[in-house]
Amino acid sequence: MTARGLFPAQEIGSLAKPRWQLLGQRGEPLDEQARGELRAADARLGFAGELAPARDALLDGRSREVGAETVRDLAALFFLRYLEAPGLHRVYDGEARRIEMYEYPIRQMHGFEFQGHVRSFDSKYYLKAAVTEEVRLERPYHVEEFEFVRTHARAEPKLPITGPYTLADWSYNEHYLARQRGWKGRTARRAAQREFVVDLARRAIRPTLAALIAAGCRVIQIDEPAAGTHPDEADLVVEGFNAATDGLDAEFTMHICFSNYRDLLPALLEAKRCRQWAWEFANRDSPEHDGYEVLRVLREYGDTREIGLGVLDVHRDAVETPERVAERIGRAAKYLGDPGRLWINPDCGLRTRTLEVARAKLEAMVQGAALARAAIESPRR
Amino acid sequence: MRVRTGLTGPFPRSETLVAATRDLDRGRTTPEAVEALYAAAEREILALEERLGLDTITAGYLRWADLFRPLAETWEGFTVGPLTRWFETNTFYRQPILHAPPVRVPGALAARLPAALRGDPARARVILPGPYTFAGLLDNRSGETESALVHRLGRLLGEEVRELRGVGFATFQFTDPWLVVRPPDGPRAEAVVAGYRAIQAALDGGTSIVWTYGADAIPALGVLDRLPVSAVGVDLADTDPERIPEGRDGPSLGLGVIDPRTTLGEDPMEVAHLVRALEKRRRPSSFWLGPGMPLDLLPYEPATRKVQLLRSAREALDGGGSA
Repeated sequence: MTARGLFPAQEIGSLAKPRWQLLGQRGEPLDEQARGELRAADARLGFAGELAPARDALLDGRSREVGAETVRDLAALFFLRYLEAPGLHRVYDGEARRIEMYEYPIRQMHGFEFQGHVRSFDSKYYLKAAVTEEVRLERPYHVEEFEFVRTHARAEPKLPITGPYTLADWSYNEHYLARQRGWKGRTARRAAQREFVVDLARRAIRPTLAALIAAGCRVIQIDEPAAGTHPDEADLVVEGFNAATDGLDAEFTMHICFSNYRDLLPALLEAKRCRQWAWEFANRDSPEHDGYEVLRVLREYGDTREIGLGVLDVHRDAVETPERVAERIGRAAKYLGDPGRLWINPDCGLRTRTLEVARAKLEAMVQGAALARAAIESPRR
Repeated sequence: MRVRTGLTGPFPRSETLVAATRDLDRGRTTPEAVEALYAAAEREILALEERLGLDTITAGYLRWADLFRPLAETWEGFTVGPLTRWFETNTFYRQPILHAPPVRVPGALAARLPAALRGDPARARVILPGPYTFAGLLDNRSGETESALVHRLGRLLGEEVRELRGVGFATFQFTDPWLVVRPPDGPRAEAVVAGYRAIQAALDGGTSIVWTYGADAIPALGVLDRLPVSAVGVDLADTDPERIPEGRDGPSLGLGVIDPRTTLGEDPMEVAHLVRALEKRRRPSSFWLGPGMPLDLLPYEPATRKVQLLRSAREALDGGGSA
């Protein structure tokens, strides 16, 4: 593990799945492109290790023999090394076993019924469930996935998990709304949503977090991408976070992206056990608009938590230069008034970019952090 | 009491259509095959609208990517920009970017209307963006002020109305949620009224409905009451019906009585009770009932189930049942 000085680097979300994983877990023989990518990745990272026989079988066209679960294990190993190679201090497995962040958690719970697909935009859809009974956890999830990471990671593992507010916001609220009397207007809807969020937090997320902690998980990122959808419900985000982490001992971070953070403050600051805000900034940073200036607000509120500083725009292929990254870090440090609170990460998961582009961005990010560190430790006179 | 019903936005795509459009993106089917499914789906929705006895028909607007795209892709002056969240929902639109004062292209919008509506234009509900929402949510790089743009968009929409009136379309809904999310005041409010005046001038006896949602409409009533339109719709999921103030002999009142943010069904007797109470208090000339927010916030099956309310609520009102 790389020694941690100023501006340690961390992953933040999922990565694009390599072609060899997609074909392999479907039991299809790898084509020329997939074989080439697998060979090149293993030559560069030497990730296969104990799974070298599975790698060889995939390269031999025997995907079916390998089996989907072993292919995912191999992919998880690949992503660990992929993230460790540039020098990240906190890593996960690129969410190699996950295809999304909503359906899987919901399927680990009782009380939900999937309703069908809703269009997000154009011809992109997502599956949406309704809560029709009181939420109940079937069994804690992500635990085996974490154990694999813990066993194989060389850097510090950090587990991402979808937060209760987002799971509630992305579901239809039937059960809790039906318990409200009278016309189901704004007031009733909010009261029902509060019950739903807190129930999810207490009955499903907290037991899962407890199981993960018991399995050795020390750093847990609670993802709340829906937090910015209804700014006036920021207090519900907080209530869910506090209920989910109540009495648990781990390092919790909260990831929110593509939101107007000012609208969520100061309500968000009541998330008592949140040690780090992992937010997106680079996406909104341009010569015309300072994307990091919002950090002043945290300083004004006297909030002294760590910041997971998004320095890579995950929606553009253009690779940030190390100098650009360093400049962003320097600017953020100035706004916060304390460089020691900064972790460096992409804005969000890089899965919208190819693995080649994501790798170049991550390398630039780590190099940029080193430049920023050098600038502080050896300032020019 | 006259009560009319109709859909107020796109209907969700069926699971079959969802699968087909995904397959098309992945090159697993042909545009012709998907087109045939669209046409079949439109017929199904028209049949549903008939079964429900709706006064206006829409055929679902299944092909429309978002509220703005049919205009942003056909009028001159626009390009289509980044994905942007549609109010407080988990759905997105592509933000139109306006580079120069927009210019309408005759015939282009009409060609984009669901083909199934052209057979019965008198009953069709043409759904268009309201000028205030259109101006407020686009990326305006044209150099024109927002107020001037609202007025200009109103005039251009009026030209669309005039053209469509010429081929028999009679009912026009202007979806304008920005009016209640960010109520206009001062010059902007005047521009909104002027924009709708331009639309009204082109109506030639047709019906214009302004449909709002996304926020409490009460703070916006000052401007909503001034709009020269046939009906103004408010979403009862966001606006407390008991706070809608008294009125007298006003225009028609539109009520969003189906909330597509939940799969929980609304109670027709409760809706009938609300409508009767508002009739006494507000004294509108008639009511238009429909979904508040766009019904495609639901998957196909729950939407089909929830929309039954429009028939059952009307039956409750016709039957004189009390809640």
